[in-house]
Amino acid sequence: MSAWLEACIARADDNTAGQSWLAAKRQESLELLRESPWPTRKTEAWKYTPLRVLQGFSGGAVGSAAVVDKIDDLNSIDLVFVDGNFDTEQLSVELPEGLSVTRLADADRATQAWAAKRFACIKPERHLFGLVNDVLFSDGVIIDVAAGCTIHQPIRVVQQLSEGAEAHTRVLVRLGEGAKAAVIEQCDGNSESFNTLVAEYQISAKAELEHYRFAFQVDKAMSVGGCHFDLAERAQLNSTLVGFGSTLSRVDVDIHHGGEHTFAKFNAIYLLDGRELFDLHATVEHANPNGRTIENIRCIIADHAKAVFNGRIHIHRDAQKVLAELNNRNLLLSDHAEINTKPELEIYADDVKCAHGATIAAMDEQALYYLQSRGVDRSKAQVMLSFGFINELVDQMPNQILAEWLRPQLRQRFSQMEVS
Amino acid sequence: MSEQIEIEQALNREYEAGFVTNVEAETFAPGLDEDVVRRISAMKNEPEWLLDWRLKAFRSWQEMDEPNWAHLGYDKMDYQSISYYSAPKSMADRPKSLDEVDPELIETYNKLGIPLEEQMALAGVAVDVVFDSVSVLTTFREKLLEVGVIFCSISEAVHEYPDLVKKYLGSVVPQKDNFFAALNCAVFTDGSFVYIPKGVRCPMELSTYFRINEMNTGQFERTLIIADEGSHVSYLEGCTAPQRDENQLHAAVVELVVMDDAEIKYSTVQNWYPGDENGKGGIYNFVTKRGICHKNAKLSWTQVETGSAITWKYPSCILKGDNSIGEFYSVALTRGMQQADTGTKMIHLGKNTKSTIISKGISAGRSSNSYRGLVRMNPGAHNARNFTQCDSLLIGDKCGAHTFPYVESRNRSAIVEHEATTSKVSDDQMFLCQQRGLDPEKAVSMIVNGFCKEVFKELPMEFAVEAGKLLEISLEGSVG
Repeated sequence: MSAWLEACIARADDNTAGQSWLAAKRQESLELLRESPWPTRKTEAWKYTPLRVLQGFSGGAVGSAAVVDKIDDLNSIDLVFVDGNFDTEQLSVELPEGLSVTRLADADRATQAWAAKRFACIKPERHLFGLVNDVLFSDGVIIDVAAGCTIHQPIRVVQQLSEGAEAHTRVLVRLGEGAKAAVIEQCDGNSESFNTLVAEYQISAKAELEHYRFAFQVDKAMSVGGCHFDLAERAQLNSTLVGFGSTLSRVDVDIHHGGEHTFAKFNAIYLLDGRELFDLHATVEHANPNGRTIENIRCIIADHAKAVFNGRIHIHRDAQKVLAELNNRNLLLSDHAEINTKPELEIYADDVKCAHGATIAAMDEQALYYLQSRGVDRSKAQVMLSFGFINELVDQMPNQILAEWLRPQLRQRFSQMEVS
Repeated sequence: MSEQIEIEQALNREYEAGFVTNVEAETFAPGLDEDVVRRISAMKNEPEWLLDWRLKAFRSWQEMDEPNWAHLGYDKMDYQSISYYSAPKSMADRPKSLDEVDPELIETYNKLGIPLEEQMALAGVAVDVVFDSVSVLTTFREKLLEVGVIFCSISEAVHEYPDLVKKYLGSVVPQKDNFFAALNCAVFTDGSFVYIPKGVRCPMELSTYFRINEMNTGQFERTLIIADEGSHVSYLEGCTAPQRDENQLHAAVVELVVMDDAEIKYSTVQNWYPGDENGKGGIYNFVTKRGICHKNAKLSWTQVETGSAITWKYPSCILKGDNSIGEFYSVALTRGMQQADTGTKMIHLGKNTKSTIISKGISAGRSSNSYRGLVRMNPGAHNARNFTQCDSLLIGDKCGAHTFPYVESRNRSAIVEHEATTSKVSDDQMFLCQQRGLDPEKAVSMIVNGFCKEVFKELPMEFAVEAGKLLEISLEGSVG
């Protein structure tokens, strides 16, 4: 076990105060954490992502006030966490009917009753940092959308970190039967910090969730977190992840098809530069028949950056008539960049159709030549092609206001990228 | 319902090579320690360096743990309960020609459909026959020597060509490579040795036929093939074992050295005893196969895996030289309670290296079939190219098909493509075939053969026919 993890466990022991209704769950996670070995290169889930950087880091709660930029025209309901603590003052808008947002600490008995059953149950136990979050989270929110309600305003959870901060934020979302909502998770930060943002989503029967995760922490802002979804019968998920790398960036996405006739779409884009690292582990569990999954992962890696992708599709016995597709395309822009990808299929039912594809290549010289022959200079042509490569997925985002907000940021990222 | 019963009966079809030959054998008592390693070495009058080499491997093996990352579930072997050496008594003096070989042995191979006699001459195949721990016979040795091709058992090569063996043994698969390779290095008893001199195109197909016969033994053979500059050889390997209730261990190592401009084509039809329908008995097949390709060299692995209770096998290519080519064509069929975790590694080091991986997995019954592969583009692999396709076919709803491809690229100009699909025999295909008058069994067999065609076409003709038949037998009645 590492000194870092030992320190975590020691702190967790002191952290017994607080939400007593979650004490049993936290204790369970603590026991699991005590038995967890520290990942090394031989640990399959951490094979390409070293945790050395974390060893030297010791952060704490800092908590300086920050103002979060609004996204123009989005009219979102912003839930702001500053260094892991929920900033109630920034929640100024009135909540629409059918939506309730409760701090974990303030949950009433009715909320506790259902939340205790879902908390840390949607997230699989195997995630080490999920367990760390279980035992160390200091603050979190429960977002509940009543059955049959459609929330038109997107709900945005923003995580801001200042220098030296360590934060463990928790989000639990429940969409009631037939409910519709959009949730955006956003992590910002560029100074040395560490956060684990763990979000769990229960999508009840016939409910539809539109989900975004913007992992925008860069430089020395380390982030290891996850989004975990449980889909009941006829539930739908449309999720988009956009990530920039940092010294340590890792997201675990788990989509569990818990009912029949479910549909999940997961698109991910990540753009890496410098010596950044981004590691995405996406696991799809088809436990029931007639489910459908479409995954598209696109990645552009420049300079000395390193990208890791692990996409696992697991079709359980008797989960017949499942359709699952995974497409992973990677652009390597430099001779020092590195990509490690592993699309996995694990299938125990025979009447299913599953496919995955992965490609790794440089930018197409012919396409570059074509643009150059039309008078576009080479570097501009490269930006155009890279942008085209990922814009396909940006276009698929259901919320076009968000897509508009995202595009200039991606464009700026491209113009900074080291292309050799 | 009656169809269902028919299917099950057909699936439980007996293993045709499951008989036992009664040959008097000299067998070591079960157990493994340094003394056993020394005794094996002494039996073979091995030089000092080889004994030291074995002991070094044995000591590292003792410190290693059995790997458990594969998608396989089995009870670990007790390595002290196996006998590490067993040889027919009549082998005390190795026969020089077919006439001197124990008729029982010849009969065994005739029964298996491997005639050691004249027919082979007609087919133009030279055979090295390995029975339990020893090589029984190598045919056409003299004829091959005329063109400079050395084809003999590795024990003979140790004495007759010590320089070559010393130079290349362990050069591709080092002693500490993995748990099973280390065990093989310590206790290997025999195997084939091939050397093709510069510029020679081997005039006939070379082949080794492995047979495990004795109870409680393991087979640990080692094959070393060196294709010198500009040479060419096609090598075939086949294997069977009797039907027994215990699990027997087969831990082989194959090392291939492909020098500049040379080419090796290595084909395997693996038909070890797979165990009965409840998973009792069967061979545990843990094999390390690897080849190194120098400049402009080409190495092609083709395998048809239908046997073994457990298959753990990853024939690999190290594409070290510029412009070298690696290929891997595989059909793995599992049924009953069989488990296979097989695939390949393509390590691209040189410029303009190319690799192709075509893997077809077919699972039936309650079996589990996994493809596990690695494609690595190192920083020096400019303009390297890889194409991987792995398709799985599921027959029945109790089996599993899995794909675990690792793709690592550290070179911008390298292009890697990987695709995988999983499906079942489609109703449309079945309907079309039946509408044209084929019964369901024939239809499945035809569809599966078509599914595997890309691999079968890579096999030498005789093997392709054998592989097709094997598949037909194994699949008979699996769809209704």
